[in-house]
Amino acid sequence: MSVWSSFRIALRALARNKLQTALTTIGMTIGVATVLTMIALGTGAEAAIQQQVRAAGMNLIVVTAGNYKTKTEDDGGGVVDHQAELVPSPQSPVPEVVLAGFHPEDDPMEKHDHPTARQRLGDTEAGLGAAATLTPADAEAIRDISGVQFVSEGIHENVHAAAGDKRWFTRMHGGDVELPSIRRSWTFTSGRFFTAREQSRRAAVVVLGAFAAEKLFGDANPVGRQVMLFKQPFEVVGVVGSGSWMVAPSAGDDQFDAVYVPFTTIHQLLNLSKLTDITITAASTGEVTRVSKDVTALLRARHGIGMKDPDDFTVATQARQSLARGGLRPDVARAVVGNVGGLEKVTLEQLGRTLDRATKTMTALLGSIAAVSLIVGGIGIMNIMLLSVTERTREIGIRRAVGARGRDVLRQFLVEAVALSVIGGLAGIVLGAVASGIIGQMLRWSTSLSSSSVALSFAVAAGVGVFFGYYPARQASRLDPIESLRYE
Amino acid sequence: MPLLRVRDLVKTYQVGDVAVRALRGVTLEVGSGEFVAVVGPSGSGKSTFMHILGCLDRPTSGEYWLEDRDVSRLNDDELSAIRNRQIGFVFQGFNLLSRTSAVENVELPLLYGAGKVSAAERRRRALAALEAVGLADRAEHHPNQLSGGQQQRVAIARALLNNPSMLFADEPTGNLDSRTSVEVMDIFQRLQVQRGITIVLITHEQQVAEYGSRIIAFKDGQIVSDQTNERQRVAVGELALLPTG
Repeated sequence: MSVWSSFRIALRALARNKLQTALTTIGMTIGVATVLTMIALGTGAEAAIQQQVRAAGMNLIVVTAGNYKTKTEDDGGGVVDHQAELVPSPQSPVPEVVLAGFHPEDDPMEKHDHPTARQRLGDTEAGLGAAATLTPADAEAIRDISGVQFVSEGIHENVHAAAGDKRWFTRMHGGDVELPSIRRSWTFTSGRFFTAREQSRRAAVVVLGAFAAEKLFGDANPVGRQVMLFKQPFEVVGVVGSGSWMVAPSAGDDQFDAVYVPFTTIHQLLNLSKLTDITITAASTGEVTRVSKDVTALLRARHGIGMKDPDDFTVATQARQSLARGGLRPDVARAVVGNVGGLEKVTLEQLGRTLDRATKTMTALLGSIAAVSLIVGGIGIMNIMLLSVTERTREIGIRRAVGARGRDVLRQFLVEAVALSVIGGLAGIVLGAVASGIIGQMLRWSTSLSSSSVALSFAVAAGVGVFFGYYPARQASRLDPIESLRYE
Repeated sequence: MPLLRVRDLVKTYQVGDVAVRALRGVTLEVGSGEFVAVVGPSGSGKSTFMHILGCLDRPTSGEYWLEDRDVSRLNDDELSAIRNRQIGFVFQGFNLLSRTSAVENVELPLLYGAGKVSAAERRRRALAALEAVGLADRAEHHPNQLSGGQQQRVAIARALLNNPSMLFADEPTGNLDSRTSVEVMDIFQRLQVQRGITIVLITHEQQVAEYGSRIIAFKDGQIVSDQTNERQRVAVGELALLPTG
């Protein structure tokens, strides 16, 4: 007997007791739907986190003009009392002030017990490390380093943007055409980024961040309209929004509450020639350290800095900075970096391992939920098949009398159990797809329903049918033909 | 050369602590084309005998040769194959699959045959078999839509589908009225005469046994008499005399 005719017989047997079949398959349906939904949500979350980490710029290198150390945490024990410099002179009983060679505030190694100029005014206004040392030529040179993927020149100003009677105070970023490739979480809600041609011609074009666009134009499509920047008319060519559910454009986020113009245009408009920073991505996250070293060496050579002199620029590659600044939600950032202290020292591989562990824990949890629901579904099938074997003892006897072998009977009941679980499984796949879609919509959570997870669910359903159907089927195949024929 | 030979056939059942000896040494030969009626009271072992001859059961001891094969030594799969190809069964309770149409019931033996038979071919042969028993117009009826006689004819069509050399009938008229009983006997006699099929008929009624060409009487698991039936009843003649309907 062919498998197909066994399958047809099985379907007909199941069709006779539709309610019973439906009730039995519900267990499997719920089980498979749970599995599928969980996988969809799980891989969705995983994909989202990975996308976030990438979008946050794990392969990002930012070169900033000037060199100042970020404010170190005060450890509370480093306060130097300059009064202590008053030392008694052996010649005179009157203490004599011994002047240090420079003003104590200027000692970069000192910790101060009163606010320094830098603390009062901030780095830029204090003039510390604010030297504009980076040039577009530096950026061009960096483009030639091997392992460098994208480079964007950066120059940033605050600007009053005006469209009609609407005004909005925001950030203006001068960038390169490659900027969208670096900001991977961007999507263009309308229009496009500016082109290389517009950049080289210093065209007066602007791309609005989604938040700025809303402030200036409301719900209307701004593409093709005019925005005044520094009293100059700029044509809006595109609107950039967040492609990630975790990052919603908000006021002052420096990314979507911002406008983007070619850096060449800013240079001409404001009569500038230097850059504030250069943003680089490494082609491979594993090469970030090597690339940043090469960038440092290149810039030192280009700037003619001697062996012992400090850099006049700062190269930052810290994962934490990018995680914090890249628009990662704080709770997710915490989940990603966990309780790993000193993230600056954490390599990308270690971070990858942390992510991997989190994923494994999640998978184990989902796996156990799936296992329980499938076992319950399987037991339901086993129960109904045992009942069916008893009910149909006479049928088994008849089939044996006309020449069915034990294994024919075994196959018939096994196929029936598998058909039962597969029907439940298919319904579960549909239910799971719908459920994960609805959950994804409600939570704005990206769910990914891959064909492999559907295939896996189907295979699991069939496997459960075989596993739990085998025992009843074997019981059926071992029935004595004569006793089965006599069974009432 | 006899079709089947049995020697010293013994069958013992264990029922609780008691050993029931259903057959106590049966020796018999049946030639090809015979119509053997086995008669005896209930509990005489005649049904057990038929089950062993029909390869549904195996003897506790003794030999059973079917066309030069020692059937008592065959395994379950081989016995199933013999049942499928060489033996047809007709039972008192018809034993049709309920909620399954007549034609599908008749098709059943072809599902378990050795060679692959296409669904269309199965149906064609089943319909031909139904036509032979005069039920072509009832092919799609389910057993509960058929009368007893019609159900038994469906069962006969099923038994004959693989052109078996033997037909075993266990009280085939037990649930039928007198006219349909004679009709079934008519079919059996035609099969014997026209197709040379060997028929073994189990019955407890002497009148039914008299349709056979040879009558074997069982008692307490043994053969008490075995003789050629000199006054064989002819069903076709009796049918002509019976009132129709």
